[in-house]
Amino acid sequence: MQQILMGLFRIMPLLFGLGFLAPLLAQTLERLHWTAPFGLSPIVFGLLVGGLWGAFATIKGRWL
Amino acid sequence: MKASVLSEAEIAALDARGLIRLEKSIAEGFMGGVPWGSVAWALANTTVWFALWPLTLSGWLPLWAAFPIATVSIALSYLPSHEAQHRIIARPGEPLFWLNELIGHISTLSLVLPYDVARLTHYEHHKHANHPELDPDISTHAAGTLDFLRRSLANRQPSGAADRAYGETLQRLGTPEAGRAMLVAAVYRLSYFGILFGLAWSGHALEAALVWWLPRHLAATYIQYYLSWAPHHPAQEIGRYRDTRAFRSPLGNILTMGMQFHIVHHLYPRIPLMRTPAAYWALRPVLKARGCELGGL
Repeated sequence: MQQILMGLFRIMPLLFGLGFLAPLLAQTLERLHWTAPFGLSPIVFGLLVGGLWGAFATIKGRWL
Repeated sequence: MKASVLSEAEIAALDARGLIRLEKSIAEGFMGGVPWGSVAWALANTTVWFALWPLTLSGWLPLWAAFPIATVSIALSYLPSHEAQHRIIARPGEPLFWLNELIGHISTLSLVLPYDVARLTHYEHHKHANHPELDPDISTHAAGTLDFLRRSLANRQPSGAADRAYGETLQRLGTPEAGRAMLVAAVYRLSYFGILFGLAWSGHALEAALVWWLPRHLAATYIQYYLSWAPHHPAQEIGRYRDTRAFRSPLGNILTMGMQFHIVHHLYPRIPLMRTPAAYWALRPVLKARGCELGGL
């Protein structure tokens, strides 16, 4: 149980990027009537940015 | 014996035993009774924050209005729980102990801080204030305001010190109660992320961000600054009369949430928050005689 929880918290930045930042970015773009670059849909753009940022935070241990 | 009937010279001439007797007799006058103001504060503030959800999700309250309300509400969430942590509302065995525990549990829901984690780690903070290894709040130690903000940001990174310090403190305690608190902390954290993810993927990411996620971060910064950094700065000394200070803030007593007088709380944790200013002024001559840092207050 403890190992599962520790594993889950270890990858939490990635999950946060995909689970929260991605839809947040997508819905922010839509609210501001902005378009995502390269013809991407807002949610694909959000998943790319949120996923990459979350992966960076998971590997590096920091968001910035 | 009252400090007000003794001159500063007479107080300074008291020996250690006389000083502590005088100090205790003054402090005892400010203890006891139920701090109903804190109880009402907790119930009203918790209600306000929970009410923001239906109000914003239904579109009745715009997010630009909900965001500052949520930030202030979460910033106000900690102190009623703090009263409960010290069992100021009621002690175990007293008829209103259930109310103490209720206030402790509900107050910090928005802060995602379980009551037992807060209580157990806070007791360790009192025992070991400013100790570089044993004080769970030492991660807020910083050279000044800008350094505090930099550290506060650093502490919240995935590898940051703040959460780790609380976990390590509970592990060091090693009691069944501390073990349960760690488990509850994990449930709280998973629930928090689960709710954020659920709201975000159901089309309410902006509501989740502006009613909870961002306000919580801003409120935590404010709480850590005024409740932890400011009263313990420069956090270099250890000891009953040296680990906490009084300070004068340009924001005054209310906007610093009573923390200008935090030295009184560390000396007598069972004095309710709303009585600490009066207790401070009554105790001031004794604190002065003890050589406490009173920051011009």
